[in-house]
Amino acid sequence: MKIRLSHADGRPLYVQIMDAVRSGLVRGSLRPEEPLPSVRDLSSSLRVNPRTVSQAYAELERDGVVEVLHGKGTFVAPGVRPEERERPRLAREVARRALADASRNGLALADLITALREVEDGDPHGDGSKEDGR
Amino acid sequence: MTDNTRAMLPVDLGNGPFAVTTRGLAKRFGSVRALNGLDLQVPEGAAYVLVGPNGAGKSTLIRTLMGLVRYQAGTVDVQGCDPAGRGAEVRAGIGYVPEGHRFGYAWMTVGRWLEHQAVYHPSWDKGYARELSTRYGIDPARKCHTLSKGESRRVQLVAALAHRPPILLLDEPTDGLDHVVRDETLSILSEHLADSPTTVLISTHRVYEVEPLVDHVGVLSEGRLLGQLPRDELHGRLLCYWADVPEGWSGPGDPGGRVVRRSGAARAIEWTVWGDRDTVTRGLSEAGAAVREVAPLSVDEAAVALLSAREAS
Repeated sequence: MKIRLSHADGRPLYVQIMDAVRSGLVRGSLRPEEPLPSVRDLSSSLRVNPRTVSQAYAELERDGVVEVLHGKGTFVAPGVRPEERERPRLAREVARRALADASRNGLALADLITALREVEDGDPHGDGSKEDGR
Repeated sequence: MTDNTRAMLPVDLGNGPFAVTTRGLAKRFGSVRALNGLDLQVPEGAAYVLVGPNGAGKSTLIRTLMGLVRYQAGTVDVQGCDPAGRGAEVRAGIGYVPEGHRFGYAWMTVGRWLEHQAVYHPSWDKGYARELSTRYGIDPARKCHTLSKGESRRVQLVAALAHRPPILLLDEPTDGLDHVVRDETLSILSEHLADSPTTVLISTHRVYEVEPLVDHVGVLSEGRLLGQLPRDELHGRLLCYWADVPEGWSGPGDPGGRVVRRSGAARAIEWTVWGDRDTVTRGLSEAGAAVREVAPLSVDEAAVALLSAREAS
């Protein structure tokens, strides 16, 4: 599970950890019943307070995404269906951030949608020219 | 005497339980007031970072908690003891990394010095001391006087952690360490907190390093706290508002919070406000501002905003 925390990010650290777990599920790098890193190992590798990791795991357990088996560790819940729940949820989170970024730059939703299509179609400059010809 | 009238953010953490408290703590060095009516509250099990400019009183405070400095007024309570009368007892329960890099006797080997520390701390964990020394690449045969600043720091950290004390007082713990060792130290501290129930008070100028590790923040200036609160509350309520405003805009009568700093250009303001996010956003919007972004400040940025507001007042 790859997690990169950002302090410039508006989300609290525990939420960033929760989102990283969800994104692991959507990408398939985490699957049902697989173990998550221990609180000790993850807090050590992220250099965060162990309570922040515990908090993220506890919230994920409340959401039914993981289960904590006492004495064994934290595992992805067996019944998790990332396609049904985590995927749309993650998409909304990414959309929320994109919208906030657009609004910060004085752009409206329509500007963003148009630009997304153009970039996706390989027309990053919106003038019909394709990716710069290198 | 306690004087919190200058505090811009909350300074009262409620009823505890606290591992460390001071009340109205005052210390003068000649005509210099190093501590000026300070009410410190470090909750049991907290990781608390003390931020402030040089000369704010951070090291004096930590040395007072250790019983190494005699205070002149107020009260100090470190796990139920007053370090002024029971210094040795207090120090036995504290892992301390001092401001400077000097320790031991020049002729003593590092290994001998660590053994010496073990005598003072019955809870000394030999296996852990060895493991930490190995991770830090410490050679026990070296003589204390041959160590560099960074090497001394590593030995001091081993000595502070190896007895798994209930309280850690770390005064600039990463001072003198190179990038790799600093990073390793943060990882060691995370693991230490996961393994041992500990209350930590860290004083540092490299706040960004320990920000993810701490859950409480105290901003110290001229021997007083400008704020003392949970980190999440700081991130949740001290926010920077970016907004586009009409020419000649003078702001709302009541912004719905306490404006700590006003900056930005003529038609694009950047205000740092302490208060409820929705209330402040509404206050600004109703006064004609188009709020573009609201974002939390890092602990570093928050400290700078508070300290510069303090200077301006």
